[in-house]
Amino acid sequence: MKVMNPKRRDILKKFIGFMVAGALLPDVFKPKKLSAQNIKVDISKLSKVYKEEDPIVRMMRDLQRALKKPVEQRRWVMVIDTRKCVGCNACTISCIAENRLPPGVVYRPVVEHEIGEYPNVRKRFFPRPCMHCDNPPCTPVCPVNATYKRPDGVVVIDYDRCIGCRYCLTACPYNARTFDFGEFYTDGVGIHGLMPYESIYTEEYGVKRDRTKKKSPVGNARKCHFCLHRIERGLLPMCVITCIGRATYFGDANDPNSLVSQLIGQPNVIRLKEELGTEPKVYYII
Amino acid sequence: MRKVPAWFIILSGLGGLVGIISIIYRLIVGMKVTNLTSSVPWGEWVAFYIYFIGLSAGSFLFSTLIYVFGQKNIEKAGRMALVSAVIALIAGLLFVWIDLGHPWRFLNVFIHWHYTSVLAWEILFYVFYIIVIFAEAWYLMRCDLAYLRDTSSGFRKTLYGILSLGWKCPTTEERFKACHIQSLKVATVLGIIGIPLAIGVHGGTGAIFAVVKARPYWYSPIFPIIFLVSALVSGAALMTFLYAVLGDKKSPDYMNILRNLGGWMVLFISLDLLLMVAELLVGLYGNIPDHVYVLKTIMFGPYWYVFWIGQMGMAVIVPIVIYIFKRDSAFWLALAGLSAVVGIVGVRFNLVIPAFVAPPIPGLEDVYNQFRLLFEYFPSLTEWISSIGIISLVVFIFSLAYNFLPMFELPVEVIIKKGGES
Repeated sequence: MKVMNPKRRDILKKFIGFMVAGALLPDVFKPKKLSAQNIKVDISKLSKVYKEEDPIVRMMRDLQRALKKPVEQRRWVMVIDTRKCVGCNACTISCIAENRLPPGVVYRPVVEHEIGEYPNVRKRFFPRPCMHCDNPPCTPVCPVNATYKRPDGVVVIDYDRCIGCRYCLTACPYNARTFDFGEFYTDGVGIHGLMPYESIYTEEYGVKRDRTKKKSPVGNARKCHFCLHRIERGLLPMCVITCIGRATYFGDANDPNSLVSQLIGQPNVIRLKEELGTEPKVYYII
Repeated sequence: MRKVPAWFIILSGLGGLVGIISIIYRLIVGMKVTNLTSSVPWGEWVAFYIYFIGLSAGSFLFSTLIYVFGQKNIEKAGRMALVSAVIALIAGLLFVWIDLGHPWRFLNVFIHWHYTSVLAWEILFYVFYIIVIFAEAWYLMRCDLAYLRDTSSGFRKTLYGILSLGWKCPTTEERFKACHIQSLKVATVLGIIGIPLAIGVHGGTGAIFAVVKARPYWYSPIFPIIFLVSALVSGAALMTFLYAVLGDKKSPDYMNILRNLGGWMVLFISLDLLLMVAELLVGLYGNIPDHVYVLKTIMFGPYWYVFWIGQMGMAVIVPIVIYIFKRDSAFWLALAGLSAVVGIVGVRFNLVIPAFVAPPIPGLEDVYNQFRLLFEYFPSLTEWISSIGIISLVVFIFSLAYNFLPMFELPVEVIIKKGGES
C-alpha cells in the first residue's frame, strides 16, 4: 500500500490551508483598509473564526487511518448531501479529466429533476456514481468473472479479462456502467489528428493504458471505481476533492470515528432502489 | 429430389460475401461501427443472435416430435430440421461473437468460466447441444452418406468420405434394416438427451434476460417460456416453408405432411399469442412506470410497426388466416411459413431492444446528450448490411447442405442394391 510521501502531504496541507485562509480573509480582518502591507495570515486568529476544519481535511485523515488497516477491514462508502449539491457538474468533469474518459463514457453524471412549472420552478440535483453495491447485480452475470467486488467493497473491472459482452451494462439498475466504443473527441475533426490530451495514459486501477491503440479499455465496460488509484495513494476521489459545495463525502464506514460513519447514521439518509436488495454503498442525505 | 437452383445459391453466396466483408470491417474498426449506446447496449446483433438460437432450438425440438415422440406423418421433414438446427446455431453464435467488444477474447468464457453467469452456462449449453445434434444428424444419414460416397467420384467422393466418417453400411437387406433401426434408436436417445439441452439452450437464452432485475420488462418468469414457445413457432414455420418449397411434390403424402406441419405451426403460434397477451395485459395492469413505458413504446412508439405488422401481423394473423382458408395449397402454406419466420424477427427485436428505452434512473435521459449515452437506438448501416450478409451466408450454407446432403431418406432398395454390387 503506497501512502503519499510526506513532502506531498505537506504541500497539500499548505495548499488547503491557503484555500481556507483565502476564503476567510474578509471575516478575519474586517479591514478598514486592505492594502498589501497589512495582510498577514495569523492561523491562531483563523481558528477562532473558523472553528471547524474543512471536511476534506477530516476525510483525508480518516482515509490515512483506514489505509493503515488491512484491505478487508475497510469499507469504502460515499455520502452525497443533495441539499448542498448545486448541480455545477464539477464532479462529472473532474472525473472525466482524472480518468481521461472518452466521449460517451461517464462515471458520474448529475441527474436533475425539475419541480413545478415556470415561473415557479425549482431544481434538485443528485450525482449518480457507481453505487458499489454489496450485492451487485452486475458481477454475477459476467460470463468471465471480469468484474467483481474487492474485499474493501469496491466493485472493479478487470479490463484484460473483459470480453465486452455488455451483459453487466444491462444488469445494472442504476445505469452506472458505460461501454468504451473506442471513440475520441476529435474523431473526424480537423486535420491534426488526436489532440495531446486524448492520448494521455489513463491510470485507472494503477495501470497505465493507452487507448489510442484500440486496446483495453477500448471495447470494455467501464465504470466508477471510487478512484482506487487515488485512494491507495492516500488521496480522496476526484469528485470529492472538486465538489465546490462539499456535498460529497468519502471514507471508511468500518471506522466509527470517520466522518462518513457519522453521516450515514443520520435519519435523513436514503439509498437508491433499496427494494432491489442491492445494498448500495452510496448514501444520499436528503 | 428437387435441388436449390444455382442462381439462388450464387445470389446468396454473393450476399454471404458481403456478410464476411462486413464482419472483417467490424473486427478492424471496432464497436463504433454500431449505433449502440451505453444506455442501449444490446441491439440488432443480439436480436438476431436470439432469433437464430431460437430457430435452432425450435427446429431441433420439432425434429424430436419425429424421432422421440413418433410423429410419423411429418417424418420427411426430420433431417431438414436437424440440419437447419446446426446451421442456425452457428449463425446465432456468429452474431453474438461480432457483438463482443473483444471478439478475440471469446475463449475467456471457457478459461475463466463463471458459474453464476447465465451467459456462461449458455455457452456450455451451445457446445453440448451442437455436439448432440451433429451426432444425431450423422447417425440418421450415415448409410445414405456411405452410399453416396461409394457411388460418386471426385470432390463429392471426398466430401462424403469426410462426412460419413468411414462408415460402412451392411449390404444384406436384413442387416441393413437392423442398422437402420439402430440409427433410429440412437436418434431417439440423442433426441431425448437433446430435449433438455434445447430447452436449456433457448429457455436459458431467455433466462439471460429474465434474471435481469434491473429491467421490469425482462424480469419475469414468463420470459424464458415465451422464448421457448416462439422458438417452436419459428422452428415449425421454417419446416413448413422449407418442406413446401423443397419437399417432393410428386410424393403422394406431400400435401398431407405439409398440412400437418402447418397445423403444428398454428398450434405453437396460438400458444405464443396466449403468452404474449398475458404478458401485455398483466404488465399494463401492473402500472409499474418502467414496465408500462416499455410496453407502450412497443405498441405505440416510433417502431410500432415491428409489433403490429411483424409480431402480430406476420407472425400471428397471416399464418393463422392462411391455415384456416388455404391449407390445401402448398403455395399459401409456404407463404404462411415464411411470414411467420420473418415475423418472429420482429418478436426478437421487441424482446431485446425496447427494454432499454426506459431510463433505470428517471431523469438520466435529460442528463445525456452525447450520442453514445442516449436511450434511443436504430441500427447503423453496417449493422444492417452485416446482418443481411450473415443471413445470406446462412441461406447459402443451407442451400449447399441441402443440395449435397441426403436430406430425404434414400429408398432402401437403392442403397442395398448398390451395396450388393460393390
